[in-house]
Amino acid sequence: MKKGRWDLSRRSFMKATGLACGYALVGARMARESAAAVLDMVGLRQASVYRSEADSRIYTYRKSQDNPMIKKLYATDGFLKEGPCGHHSHQLLHTHYTDKSRSIKALKKRGITLSL
Amino acid sequence: MSEANKETLKGRSIKMEGVHYTLHTPRVEDLENLYFVEVDPTICEGCGECSHHCPTGAIQEMNDGTRHIVDQAACMNCGQCLVHCPYGAVAERVSYVGEVLEKLKDPDTVVVSMTAPAVRYALGECFGLPVGSYTGGKMHGALRRLGFDYIWDNEWTADVTIMEEGTELLQRVKNGGTGDKPLPQFTSCCPGWIKFCESFYPDLIPHLSTCKSPIGMLGPLAKTYGAEQTGKDPKKIYTVSIMPCIAKKYEGLRPEMAASGHRDIDATINTRELAYMIKKAGIPFRSLADEAPDPVLGMATGAATIFGTSGGVMEAALRFAYEAISGKSLLDPSIKAVRTDNGINKVEVAVPGFGPVRIAVVSGLDNAAKICDEVRAGTSNLHFIEVMTCPGGCVNGGGQPVDPSVMEASVFKKMMARVNKRFTMRKMA
Ligand code: SF4
Ligand code: SF4
Repeated sequence: MKKGRWDLSRRSFMKATGLACGYALVGARMARESAAAVLDMVGLRQASVYRSEADSRIYTYRKSQDNPMIKKLYATDGFLKEGPCGHHSHQLLHTHYTDKSRSIKALKKRGITLSL
Repeated sequence: MSEANKETLKGRSIKMEGVHYTLHTPRVEDLENLYFVEVDPTICEGCGECSHHCPTGAIQEMNDGTRHIVDQAACMNCGQCLVHCPYGAVAERVSYVGEVLEKLKDPDTVVVSMTAPAVRYALGECFGLPVGSYTGGKMHGALRRLGFDYIWDNEWTADVTIMEEGTELLQRVKNGGTGDKPLPQFTSCCPGWIKFCESFYPDLIPHLSTCKSPIGMLGPLAKTYGAEQTGKDPKKIYTVSIMPCIAKKYEGLRPEMAASGHRDIDATINTRELAYMIKKAGIPFRSLADEAPDPVLGMATGAATIFGTSGGVMEAALRFAYEAISGKSLLDPSIKAVRTDNGINKVEVAVPGFGPVRIAVVSGLDNAAKICDEVRAGTSNLHFIEVMTCPGGCVNGGGQPVDPSVMEASVFKKMMARVNKRFTMRKMA
């Protein structure tokens, strides 16, 4: 079995097997309710994001650079007056990263196998 | 809550929205030894569903058939094992809920909420609303009723992120990806992906955008700009990050997250924990009217809310880059080609005065590994790559309400798993 794979077919299949049994155990009504819930949850949430995004009653603007509160932040007399990636931005909003491969190597030395 | 109750809340294990949590407020020093997620061996039935969803192979089979996370270093804290476990055997070991409730009651503390985009597309499910319902307005209203002093919003800093990360990308492109700022540039908003890159592809660190994530930006802005705008003492501000995620608890604790001169992010909770708090307070969530966040650190655009789904950061960045490079207005902001539900999506977007901007959107860390191999081998000609750990993006994050059908469909599997577990145990005996 491949690890770390997310595929809808498997997920749906697992749900379907469970549901078939649910059908046998508790009868048609509950199983039908469960079937409605099987509709892909992630897809429904994603679709809702794009619906709201394009709904001017929820979001007046659709581009970050048009946001009045962004303009205020970067204005010539604003808090980040040097503009994006300026000195103050670098202090507050940018960061650095740390090599963490040593701990992974240590695990492998202990004989632990990971999937990559 | 009575004084006595408050005490017993600490260190206690409670169930929130079907998931077991240990109420535990960790210290920064403990970060690399903390398990954010753990399998409870007394509940685990050994079905292996968690291992199937784990991107690193950190969750492995023990001798008795139960699963177990081999080491915190191997775990990216994504929680995909947790949301897919049909038995609710995977628990969260860090929960600030006890501390947040205390701070909300302290009149001396200025408590601010900082909500991620994806939370508002799933929170309603905990209150019986249809899957995917947009509940941003109700969410802000509920936070005010819970006693948060300022309702700020990570969507506002998602817009800030686009300004910073988009500008960084333009600089890298202008310099031809030379020096310590190579191309392609990787997004840096997902803490699961960041830990993954640091652990398995440290040589690619220079490709990571130096921008903090939206919450990494809102924390320090709240305690500097926010303090200035509201006239509050930054020492008294307590910032609560509210996320669809478990890995964000790890991110909030990273030692360097102290740019404001204080801890930038004081607490991190997720969608399930917020739902628990709203229910516990008896707030009638479904009948709340829509409210807006406090605008100065709260007002946001559509480009910000799409951060919650795979392809969203890319689309938002392209809306900025297109106009910044070409000087022309982008008439239709929808760049549907980059919207991604799973896998690797490579797209070329023609920008006047530049040519094709070559991008990839990557959903899931197994796919991230493939893209990283290409970049490492030097065979990638891309400019910009978005990576999200959770398949589909943060709407499918490890801190979101669990799909009820994962549990409902488990009647049969539960029986099978029991049989299997007994069988394995017999073999051992
Ligand atoms: S939290 Fe993510 S990385 Fe950690 S064991 Fe679970 S699935 Fe694997
Ligand atoms: S994709 Fe989103 S929810 Fe998942 S680990 Fe990354 S930031 Fe967290």
